[in-house]
Parts: sequence; C-alpha cells; structure tokens
Amino acid sequence: MLRVCDLMHKGVSCCFPEETVKSVAKMIQANQFRSVVVVHQSGEVWGLISIGDLIRHYGEDLEKLSAEDIMRPYKIDVDPQWPVERAIEIMRKRKIEHLIIIDPHAGPKRPIAILTTFDIIRHMSQIETGNYEQMLRVYDGISISSAP
Amino acid sequence: MEKKVMNLMRKGALTCGENMTIREVAQIMVVNGTRYCVVTNGNHQVRGIISARSILRAFGKDLDQIKAKDILLPYTIAVTPNSMLKDAVDLMSRKKIEHVIVVSDQPGNKAVFGLLHIEDIVTDMAKD
Repeated sequence: MLRVCDLMHKGVSCCFPEETVKSVAKMIQANQFRSVVVVHQSGEVWGLISIGDLIRHYGEDLEKLSAEDIMRPYKIDVDPQWPVERAIEIMRKRKIEHLIIIDPHAGPKRPIAILTTFDIIRHMSQIETGNYEQMLRVYDGISISSAP
Repeated sequence: MEKKVMNLMRKGALTCGENMTIREVAQIMVVNGTRYCVVTNGNHQVRGIISARSILRAFGKDLDQIKAKDILLPYTIAVTPNSMLKDAVDLMSRKKIEHVIVVSDQPGNKAVFGLLHIEDIVTDMAKD
C-alpha cells in the first residue's frame, strides 16, 4: 500500500501571520513556490496561502493586507502514515492542491512536509526523480508535437 | 492604462493529442515540469485542458486505458490577447483554475495562441 510519506516532499516554506502580502508574494515569486505555510511564533500551523488565494487579491494594496487576512485556515491533520487514496480524497473534495503533513512525533501541529498534486502525478507517470535517461526515453517514445 | 492579457501571457503551449493515454499525458507534464497540458484535436483546434487536479481523478484506475478526451476540462470561455487582465484573473480565482487558454481574436480560429499562467500574475503582484 502506498502511503503519504512515500510521495510527500520534506521541508515547508513558512511565513508569520503578521507579514504583509507583498512580502509573501515576493517570497513565492523569488523561490518559485506554489504555497506558503503560515505558522505561529511557536511553530504551530495556522493556515496555508496558495497562489490561488493570492491572485484573489490582484489589484488591491498588498502592503495593507497581512498574511493572516488572506490565508485559508488549515484544520486538516494529515498523518504521514495515511494511505495516499485518503489524501487524494481530501484534495478532491476541497479542491485544493497542497496538503500540509503534520507529524505527531514532532509535536502538536508541527509541519514537516507538503504533499502536492505534482508529487502524485510524478508517481503516476512512473518517472523516477532525476532519472534523466528514462526521461529521454519518454521523449523518444511520444510525439509531443501531436501533428495530425 | 489597464493591463491586457497580452501583457502577461506566454506565447505557445504544451499540447497533447486527444487520444493519448493519461500515462503519456502525465509523463509529458512531469518531464516538462508543468501542471497543465492543452488537449488539441487533429486540426490543432483546442478541445480543452488537463490540469494536475483532473489527472488525480484517475488515480487508482488503469492509466493506460483512459484517454485524454475522457478527463479533459472542456474549453468554453474564449479569452483573447485583447481581453482585460482583471477579467481573466477574476475568472481564474472564481473557477479555481491556474491556466487560461488564450486564442487568437480572429473569427473561426480556434488554435492555441498562448497561455496565461498563474505564476506570471503573482510575479506581476510582487513587482514594486
């Protein structure tokens, strides 16, 4: 059985609730993230800002908004030992693309990893990460231009 | 002056045929590091788009049996390079989508002209 810990990628990018949205946007843009976890000073998860949440405020004054105003409160505790199907079910129901993985051994509400849709697609495509030889073979096998 | 879609869109898009299997589409996405794939028919006309979320719907099923045309999100809303950017961003946040297909504004032409990416909008927001 495939578990969440087999597919997730470790490490989360965090910001504090009082940071301005402008600095969050800069952080996302500079590092090519797709989501940022909002954590309390004590290290507990408060919420999640994905780029979908960010563009909802396009055209507004981003210096006046704080991360707390635009974040989505995050109340789902996804355990690394869950089967992947259960995580996908949550993603599908809530129409979200990122799940924060919380390790009960690391303390209450401590984020340790993120599971994104892309991690699952990488598993579905059966291409190992960094396996360039295999990637080239895929390029040979498929006509990407799809000419008629 | 208000920004238009043409200021931020990227020309060209990654496409796949409508009869490709989901496994092939997933491989195209992973190899190119994108989260979308535009589905076209034999005449290069847009049929729809496959996003990362729509591929997840096929998880656990036989990926070599399901075709791209079975899971695609049909293309219905026409965005042209001359559309207002604000409208396109509203559309994205309302429909919770990350890419908008841009077609040429000439009548009858339904080939992909480019794509408006959510990352480019964030880049625009991060600018001073």
